[in-house]
Amino acid sequence: MSVQEQSADKRWYSNLLRGLNGIFVYLTAGISANEFRSMLRGTPPGRPNTRLKPHADAFLLHIKPSYYHESVTRFTHTYRLGLLSTYLFLFETITGIILMVWYAPSPERAYVDMIRLLSSVPFGQIMRDLHRIGAELMVAIVTLHMVRTYLTGSYKSPREFTWLTGVLLLVMTLFLSFSGYLLPWDQLAFWAVTIGTSMAEAVPPTFVGEIINLLARGAPDIGANGLLRFYLLHVLFLPLLLFLFFFVHYYKVVLYGISLPAQEEEIGEDTANRVPANRRVYYLSEVLVDEGSFLLVVTAVITAVVVFLFQAPLEHIADPQQTPFHTVAPWYFYWLQGLLKIADKMWAGVIIPGVLLVLLMAIPYLDRNPSRRGADRRVATISGVVAGIFMVILSWMGTPSYAVQGAPPLEIVQELMPEEGVGLSREMGYAHLPNGVYDSREEYEVNEEFAELLHDFRHALESWDEKVDDFNAPWGQITISQDQDSLKRVNWEINWISAVGEEEFFTQDFWLHADSYYWEQYGLKKYGVPQFLQQQNGEER
Amino acid sequence: MRSLYVRNIGNKLIWGLLASLVIVISVGLTAQTEDTRMDLQTKNWDGRSIENGAKIFASNCATCHGRRGQGLPGIAPTLNSHYFFTRRLEDVGQAGTLPLATYIHLTVAAGRPSKENSQWINRMVPWSSQFGGPLRTDQVEDVVAYVMNWRETAILQTVDEDPFQPFLDVSKPPDLQNIGVDPDQEFEPAQLTVSTVLPKGNREPSYLFSAMGCAGCHNLELDEDPRARGESGPNMGQVHAIVSYRENVSDSAAYIKESIVSPDNSRVEGYDDAMPNDFAERMTEEEIDRLVLWLLDENRESTPDQ
Repeated sequence: MSVQEQSADKRWYSNLLRGLNGIFVYLTAGISANEFRSMLRGTPPGRPNTRLKPHADAFLLHIKPSYYHESVTRFTHTYRLGLLSTYLFLFETITGIILMVWYAPSPERAYVDMIRLLSSVPFGQIMRDLHRIGAELMVAIVTLHMVRTYLTGSYKSPREFTWLTGVLLLVMTLFLSFSGYLLPWDQLAFWAVTIGTSMAEAVPPTFVGEIINLLARGAPDIGANGLLRFYLLHVLFLPLLLFLFFFVHYYKVVLYGISLPAQEEEIGEDTANRVPANRRVYYLSEVLVDEGSFLLVVTAVITAVVVFLFQAPLEHIADPQQTPFHTVAPWYFYWLQGLLKIADKMWAGVIIPGVLLVLLMAIPYLDRNPSRRGADRRVATISGVVAGIFMVILSWMGTPSYAVQGAPPLEIVQELMPEEGVGLSREMGYAHLPNGVYDSREEYEVNEEFAELLHDFRHALESWDEKVDDFNAPWGQITISQDQDSLKRVNWEINWISAVGEEEFFTQDFWLHADSYYWEQYGLKKYGVPQFLQQQNGEER
Repeated sequence: MRSLYVRNIGNKLIWGLLASLVIVISVGLTAQTEDTRMDLQTKNWDGRSIENGAKIFASNCATCHGRRGQGLPGIAPTLNSHYFFTRRLEDVGQAGTLPLATYIHLTVAAGRPSKENSQWINRMVPWSSQFGGPLRTDQVEDVVAYVMNWRETAILQTVDEDPFQPFLDVSKPPDLQNIGVDPDQEFEPAQLTVSTVLPKGNREPSYLFSAMGCAGCHNLELDEDPRARGESGPNMGQVHAIVSYRENVSDSAAYIKESIVSPDNSRVEGYDDAMPNDFAERMTEEEIDRLVLWLLDENRESTPDQ
């Protein structure tokens, strides 16, 4: 073999490699294959640092800093909460767009579309569950992000404006989540939003409040117009606004850098942007891999939770004629509902939240203490914690367990067989409800589950007897009859003697079909992948 | 403070890989079970629709069609009936043009506006909000699902069990409508008018009690008791002793006759004005008198014959 042939052979081979490398450099916006290998091996960058090229050339990377201070990349410094909020926004956008394919915002269609999504669309339920849990998580994570920023004093100069846009982003997140609440058009949605918009009515003077309410609802009551408006707010207006403010916020974050742990710099100093060469952690590739793996882990947790544990609730179709027994706001507005119970609508619905919001935005301008160290800002920390405790207490007051009490018989039936939701009766299901008449004053030989229901019924009667003066010597009767093939009627009857000695009674009927499982409720999944697998293998449920 | 920042890329790649694995497994398991899940969800929501329908039926339809869909003689036809699920469509000439569920839906939604002079005392009103009724379309669908759910048991009924009442508004003679008779049997189309069915002037009180629709609201077996009052009209189990439990009544026969002829004058508190005030035109005075006597008869047979 001659030398010339060998070199021709080699030229062909190296030409191919060079060509492939060119494609690689093109795709990575400036990183060669060799450089990529050394990045993966963890070799420090050379000088000049060729790994910075993508930050100049690629749009998505040019908005990211090319390196971070080692101290801020520590997980316990930021907990990656800002990144996570941004990721969840993206996550919600993607799942939301998929859901939009199956949804039409009109009262005639919306709820039917929900049921169609759940029963005839492959992966429909998991998409809805992902979107729902992502929304609730986003509210929680954005709030935690704010709490972290507050506790580390990171809102201080020069980051005042970053904090202000952050508070606005929190408000937008809340509204985004709340506006999505109405879209399934079920009882839960309808009444939560009716309460929410009615707070806007309290804006003084009266006619302004009425106009705001009218603009939000599109009519005196929520109907087709209101649904369309909330839909547009949810899928168009609020996301765009949030998108805009996100970039304002993030630009400031990059501009000033993430604040260093307070102990690492002098009081009043901000050296976040002066990173000594030996403390630089480059975005490519260390931080990228760090963030990517973190987000993958979060996604895996969300997916596993949705597949095995969580489900988005869906109650009965919205019925403007029928107010549910206990109407509740979404959990992140419990504190507002709690406020509404102790103050009138104008104070609790408009003035106090408004003042709180302004105060929250003004914190960096009010707090003149230059130090970010925990020891120097005991007042700020303590007042933050006190405010947090207040929020928790107010939220607890917002739940039905505080200061809302219906008539005892209603409460008893609501506990065991609520209008919306599961209750013990539906949890045990059709199969465990034996036909017959069951008096609370007598004992019966029945299956274990039903015996527990009878026990709880007796117990509820007794405890309400003790609690309420107007409810004496109560006894009840559950009558279960076969109404139709595979449909049972459950009649609850409660008799008691009122405070003035009169006999009173209450009766309510419910129906339960053999095939209805009442899955779509908050809480742990009663029926999920493991059970489906069992059923496919022909095992009884 | 120990630094939680790990510079080792390998660890992170392994975490990322593990997480991807969890995602793939979770989504894979979901994909595996999607058919079963969709199947169960479909049944689940069909079941809930029937539950909703049952509630609406009990509060709106049961007054005339009966709690168990057995119908009330002279007031409303039977729904829980073999005939209804197997022959009715054919007899109204709709077999092959629409399914029974659609037929029921149309009837519930739009009512039966054409039945002016029919065998049924009350006209079926339109129930759908589309035609001015109180129910939304989804509620009408729920009611239809509930009525259709009788099918399974109704088609097992024998001739004697079927509570059906012959329809006089179809050309097929009543005796050929019985489910014991061959549906394809040839017949002379009947020219029935309502007057031949209900000749005025000589009708039995027990017949009138059901044909005039009294039985729809007044129960002849239960006693009127403050704890167990009739749902839409007073119970009449002890009506012969009405003087004892209704304070303003001295002459029971006169009181009951007055109540039938002009019910507005003797409305009992707690009931709305559902009682029609045209009985004087629909019965002769003689018939009314006999009806009153029959009602006050302590030993009358409790169930009226049909």
